[in-house]
Amino acid sequence: MVENELLSVKQLSVKLQNKVILLDTHLTLNFGDILGLVGPSGCGKTTLLNTIAGFNSPSTGELNIKRNNSSSTHLIVEEDVLTITPFKHVVPEHRNIGMIFQDYALFPHLSVEKNICFGINKLPKSEQKFRMTDLLNLLKLTGLEARFPHQLSGGQQQRVAIARALAPQPTLLLLDEPFSNIDARLRNELMLEMRQILKQLKMSAIFVTHNKDEVFTFADKIAVMHQGSILQIGRPADVCHSPNSWQVADFLQLGSWIPVKAINGQFQSAVGELPSTEDLFLKENMITYKGGPQKLQLLLKSQAIVYCEDGFEKNNVKVDNISITEHGFHYLLSSIDKDLSLSFEQLSFYSNCLFALGQKIAIKIKSHNYQVFNSYDDILG
Amino acid sequence: MIAPLKNNIWRSACWLIVFLLITPVVVMVLASFSSSSDLFSHLWQTVLPDYITNTLVLGVLVVFLSLIFGTLSAAFIVHTNVLGKNFLRWLLLLPLAMPAYLVAYLYTDLFDYAGPVQRALRSWFNWQSPSDYWFFDIRTLPGASIVISLVLFPYVYMLTRTALEQQDQNLLRAGRLLGLSAKQSFLKVALPLARPAIAISASLVLMETLADFATVNYFAVNTLTTAIYDTWLGYGDLATANALASILMLIILFVVVGEQRARAGQNHQSNRPNQHIEIITLSFFQQLLISGFCWTLVLAGFLLPFALLVIMAVEYSSMAQLANLISPSLNSIEVSFYAATIATLFALLCSLYRRLSFDKWRILPSSLSGIGYAVPGTVLAMALLASFGPLDHFINDIARYLQLKEPGLVLSGTIFAVVFAFVVRFSAIANGTISSGIKQIPNSIDFAPASLGVGLGQMLKKVHLPILRPSIFVAWLLVFVESMKELSAVLLLRPFNFDTLSIQIYQLISDEMLEQGALSAILIVLLGLLPIIWLNRSKELS
Repeated sequence: MVENELLSVKQLSVKLQNKVILLDTHLTLNFGDILGLVGPSGCGKTTLLNTIAGFNSPSTGELNIKRNNSSSTHLIVEEDVLTITPFKHVVPEHRNIGMIFQDYALFPHLSVEKNICFGINKLPKSEQKFRMTDLLNLLKLTGLEARFPHQLSGGQQQRVAIARALAPQPTLLLLDEPFSNIDARLRNELMLEMRQILKQLKMSAIFVTHNKDEVFTFADKIAVMHQGSILQIGRPADVCHSPNSWQVADFLQLGSWIPVKAINGQFQSAVGELPSTEDLFLKENMITYKGGPQKLQLLLKSQAIVYCEDGFEKNNVKVDNISITEHGFHYLLSSIDKDLSLSFEQLSFYSNCLFALGQKIAIKIKSHNYQVFNSYDDILG
Repeated sequence: MIAPLKNNIWRSACWLIVFLLITPVVVMVLASFSSSSDLFSHLWQTVLPDYITNTLVLGVLVVFLSLIFGTLSAAFIVHTNVLGKNFLRWLLLLPLAMPAYLVAYLYTDLFDYAGPVQRALRSWFNWQSPSDYWFFDIRTLPGASIVISLVLFPYVYMLTRTALEQQDQNLLRAGRLLGLSAKQSFLKVALPLARPAIAISASLVLMETLADFATVNYFAVNTLTTAIYDTWLGYGDLATANALASILMLIILFVVVGEQRARAGQNHQSNRPNQHIEIITLSFFQQLLISGFCWTLVLAGFLLPFALLVIMAVEYSSMAQLANLISPSLNSIEVSFYAATIATLFALLCSLYRRLSFDKWRILPSSLSGIGYAVPGTVLAMALLASFGPLDHFINDIARYLQLKEPGLVLSGTIFAVVFAFVVRFSAIANGTISSGIKQIPNSIDFAPASLGVGLGQMLKKVHLPILRPSIFVAWLLVFVESMKELSAVLLLRPFNFDTLSIQIYQLISDEMLEQGALSAILIVLLGLLPIIWLNRSKELS
């Protein structure tokens, strides 16, 4: 393993009840990083988390987990790096990994204090007390030690779950949909707070979510999963800027889709020909559409759309829906040109101009680094 | 909000039902205070302390054994790959269908000096007399405890198994990640979480044990129930019998209160069922030991006694015996039918009242009417005799005063008393079943019909009753079966020459002639299987 690497997952496949859930997954995590696993439900992200935790065994592939011996509370000190293969399982309790469950899984029959000390009860009493006081302060839980889980609010329960997971000083923290039970209004605030705590402790973490806003707020690195494999992994900004497949762009809702045709090296759309740019065809996308006209999909962000207010251009879209947002009016536009192969609906467009419902307007597309994909039929399917 | 149910007649009916169901017990306790007879003080100075000790020792032993049998088997079934797990899952429930007194009789037959086991041993080892060898005597207090716990442990098994299966498995996983092994995680997390369920089941077992009359009577182990029976039927001293019944009632009350306190506010069921439960893989030796343990329980609690009954039936049954079966069967069916119908109706009224009205005390009728379940049949019988006797006299006095024909003992001397006892005792079962059915109807449904312009009557007819139909059926069936099996109350309350199936079996057992009644016994056992099959099926479905 590379020195800075805490976890590496190589060619991992997992079968549950004879069904392949994970297929040939690769992943690495550096010390101190927070990785967000994101993807639609059923894509295998929770299975990946459970496999790292030790609740599932790999059917092929290998996991390497570095253990930070100095902080290990477990009596058994094995090698510095744990290697897990289909033939060599390491039980969860020996992995020095902490986990925060979606419903927190606090022990209902134990007080906050006993919940937090559950994993460190082999340590001397004074050390337990010390760590608990520390965590109570850090997580603003002081005064709640004697309460039982059902006497706490949702946010407090979550903080107890964090404290309990952190008490044994794990090398890696896993979080399964950590914010799904939190009130939408509080969610953002809590995410920032929790991120600060993890960063303060230099804690490495992997969390699972199906909410794209959560990954962008909470993660240093994101991995987008689809049907049992990781499609793209990288810094949020990079993934956002250049998604490597339509699934990634579609799941993260990075823009609207409009169909385009490639004719003689030019893109044709329902709102006119796309102005040429220097790197017109980006990366591997261009390889896939080579050869003759065919149906392609352009990922279009609102910033790349220009409203032609001078009246010289022919109206080419109709306003189907209007909503008001903090970024101005949000319109959903559909094409007027009913050329079936190019027509589109629900093109998202933000503007400060007020249009009427059903109004026909003219727009055009700015020259930019076009991102074109060719799998839209699958999206529709 | 305005309650969907504001009907005064309905409300009064519910409170009247509660009044009827709990008055006899109150009357009995009051009547026992009037007991000044010499017999009571005589009993107190002679045998009563022994009887109370026996009762308590029996209770403690049975609870202890049932807890061992029940929690261990439940843990093995849920958390290990024990051999034959899919069969054992439901086979372990079957002993519930076996009345303890039947097992007592059959095992005495099997294991006593003249029984086949000792005979075989003697012929193998060439022993001549009892002084040549030691063999356990089943007709003792420990023997009774084993026999009773063999048929009652499924309560513990069933409730513990359900609790373990419905636990949030993430709690166990959290335990693992915090450094516990699978076994430790079970002991430190799963078991403590199942404690409320185990406590409920232990109190059920204790109540059933304290209520037992036939087994201890057959084994000649003197407990409070046998003392009550003897005092009333032997000495004809109603007041003293009442006093004894009140003592027993007091013990039961301690059990109920203790159980309630033990699980105050604890409810750890997860609302996410069907989670994957991690299975501990057993070694060959463990497998042998553990599956042996579970199969022994099934064998000893059900299969062996049932096989013995079938053998008896095959060897001894005749047309004459079949004919003898008819009249007690009809009697049993008659009283059980009345009891089941009335109890279900009461439960329906009280549960709907509780759900649909907004009265401050709406919960009380349905919970108070269940109290009778804790009252042992013998005690209940005493309570009814204590209340109906004077009432009958009063009715006859009035009749005489009005110069009408005296009706005789219309309440205490007819099947009215028997049916009444069944309703008091088994209302809790009907209540529980129907209440849990009602809980599954979303609350908003109570208000939807009104919003569509439909009144209370139509709403009940078109919405609630159709949805509740399965629960109503199950409630009726459960009460019916329990009534068919009930023995100790009928024994004291039955009209002259009125035999039920259970009475017939009991009398044949007392006369050491069960062979004559093997068919009735099989019938009772098979009937007892019905609710178990049903319970198991609904558990699997949910």
